[in-house]
Amino acid sequence: MSGTLGIAIRGVHLAACVGLVGVAAILWLAGRTDRPTALAWHTRVARAGRWLSLAAILSGVASLAWQAALLEGHAGAAFDPGALATVALETRGGHVWLARHAVLVLLAAFLAARVDPRQRLDWLAARAETLLLATLALGLGALAGHAATAEGNAASVMVSAIVHLLASGLWAGALLPLADLLRRAGEPAGADSRAYAALTVRRFSRWGLAAMAGLGVTGAVNAWAQVGSVPALVGTPQGGLLLVKLAVLAAVLAVAARGRRLLPALSGEADTVGRPAMRRLARLVRVEALLALAILGVVAAMIALPPARHADPTWLLSFRLTTDPLADAPAARVRALIGSQVAVLGMVAALASLAWRQRRLALGAAAAALGAVGGVLALPAIAIDAYPVTYRRPAVPYTAGSIAAGLALYRVHCAPCHGASGAGDGPAGLRLPRPPADLRAPHTTHHTAGDLFWWISHGIAAAGMPPFRGRLDEEQMWDLVNLIRAMGAAGQSRALRARIEPERPRIAAPDASFTVGPTPTRSLRELRGQRIALLVLYTLPESRARLAELAGAHGQLVVAGAEVIAVPRDGGTDGIRRLGADPVILYPVVTGSAGEIATTYSLFSRQPHTEFLVDRHGYLRAVAPGAAAALPVPDLLGEIGRLNAERLVPPPPADHVH
Amino acid sequence: MALWKAVLLVNLALVFGVTAGWVRWGREAAALRRELAAAPAAVAGLEREFRGEGVVRAVLGEAGVLVITHGDIAGYMPPMTMGFRAAAPALLDGVEVGDSVRFVLRGAIPHLQIVALERTP
Repeated sequence: MSGTLGIAIRGVHLAACVGLVGVAAILWLAGRTDRPTALAWHTRVARAGRWLSLAAILSGVASLAWQAALLEGHAGAAFDPGALATVALETRGGHVWLARHAVLVLLAAFLAARVDPRQRLDWLAARAETLLLATLALGLGALAGHAATAEGNAASVMVSAIVHLLASGLWAGALLPLADLLRRAGEPAGADSRAYAALTVRRFSRWGLAAMAGLGVTGAVNAWAQVGSVPALVGTPQGGLLLVKLAVLAAVLAVAARGRRLLPALSGEADTVGRPAMRRLARLVRVEALLALAILGVVAAMIALPPARHADPTWLLSFRLTTDPLADAPAARVRALIGSQVAVLGMVAALASLAWRQRRLALGAAAAALGAVGGVLALPAIAIDAYPVTYRRPAVPYTAGSIAAGLALYRVHCAPCHGASGAGDGPAGLRLPRPPADLRAPHTTHHTAGDLFWWISHGIAAAGMPPFRGRLDEEQMWDLVNLIRAMGAAGQSRALRARIEPERPRIAAPDASFTVGPTPTRSLRELRGQRIALLVLYTLPESRARLAELAGAHGQLVVAGAEVIAVPRDGGTDGIRRLGADPVILYPVVTGSAGEIATTYSLFSRQPHTEFLVDRHGYLRAVAPGAAAALPVPDLLGEIGRLNAERLVPPPPADHVH
Repeated sequence: MALWKAVLLVNLALVFGVTAGWVRWGREAAALRRELAAAPAAVAGLEREFRGEGVVRAVLGEAGVLVITHGDIAGYMPPMTMGFRAAAPALLDGVEVGDSVRFVLRGAIPHLQIVALERTP
């Protein structure tokens, strides 16, 4: 509740500043005049501007008081001059606040000043200054607001947000004054200013178009930064509001297009020409202004909601489109390819029907038919079942700890049907209507983590799989999801060799936290972006010779950018002592949580000695199962060199839901 | 006074204000940098004492050096594996690879020596 008041105060302040930019812009665009009606309009708009600046200053003071109450921790501070002075004078935000409100006071003064339109230089200077100050007040505010709330946002996103705000001010803030001018000039008494109004609307139409283009580009950048994906757009409250905003914007564009068609009718020399068109246009612009206000309301609601990118989307359809299944099904690939080509032909036909008026009906029918045929061919191949939680992000990260916990649960709840190794060959599975899925098969990696979560929690009735809601808690079900992802990844990893395949990072290496003696816990994840990891799962005594070889080359490996991390396969906590004094081994030998790392990485290889090479983006790139398969040190350094030479920067694997 | 002159004055004031702010900010940052640079110099040359905890990775008896994978040594060094010289050879008696130890370092940076060592379970 209290948070809502703060947001409302900021919203009023922002709206007033946006309106001021519009007022300053329309006065500047309209230009000087000596016609009585137009002069009266100038005075009225300037008066509205004064009210707006008063509103901006008052809401600004309110937000300063709000800030003081927040900082001091009690509501009384909002009315305590001492606390207010502290916030204004001793914080960086306060300094920006002082500067902005000085600008707003100056702006109000310029809007109050009587400007003689016959003095060309004075008029230009005063109006240009008004526009400059309004832009400054809005831009500075946006900059300060973003700098305060941005969480590591790129500068480009910040600049784009500010440009978006300024362009919206230029367009939305100018609409109401423009509608007023057109209405006055459309009245019988306003005949003296009709040419002036026509000129103004022409100029505004050019500027408005430019502002609209700017809004489109910066809006796309902002949407990408805040939403970022189709599920987030469709399935989150903020994404839904963005769709509403776009729908209102489409209506605005339709109204604006109708208005533009009226422009030629305004170009009459005589005072009577164009009057009905002018009144119609005034009504259209007023509708546009109302729609702009509606957009402002939607934006205010959007600001109050958490960013769609960080919210968990709810998928509302029973299917989703993805090309993932095509990788394993050549027949479906051909179908999808033919279908998509037919659909493209349909699109060409649709475009042709727009261009070629005489054959519009035939071409339109052909477009519809081709589109339908293409859809029927392609869609079944790329549409797969989806559930409300399909795009939910795992609540438990993909780590060795979670996977090891998942394996313990799997042995109790899943192995009876799916088999100890996940092959779908458990004894209880034989009696089911449909054989249990082979969890090692590549298809498991095509489902999202959310899909797997849904099947575990709700079961698959037709196949005889029971729901586990109630029997397992949410965290346990996510542990199972992580285990199944690891099993699928382990199946995929059979294709990996001791040498890397350049530029093909595909399998995410499960994160693992580890400790060496009484030192703080570290994790594979913190090596990302910095070091390559050579994870060595070892068993004594057969691994001793290899560990000694790596110890001898430790310096070279470190210089090459690789960190060796040795984990005893039996999960013991006294690995360092058992290795003994000879040879001297200085790379980390894991003592804490070696068990869960060994359990997880044993899914990928059952050999007593296995080496895993994890690139600096967190992807598993090479697996050498068995001490005999391990690369000699010079070859190993060569592979590390090839990883270092890679240019490709793949997305971080944890965000890449399989 | 003509309005355009007022506008000119206002803009000059704006530019002046921005420049003054810029300069002041720069001065503040420079002063901070100087303070930061001066801090380690003031510390060097003083005899100091640090405490650490770690696991023994190698005992180089003839050199009197203990290689320890240690946690954060507050005020001196982040976690890493490195060798420390023992002040007396007797300190290394009975210490084996794999032992968890608590140790005390004393000396002027960077010439620190282990002056006390105890094994922890």
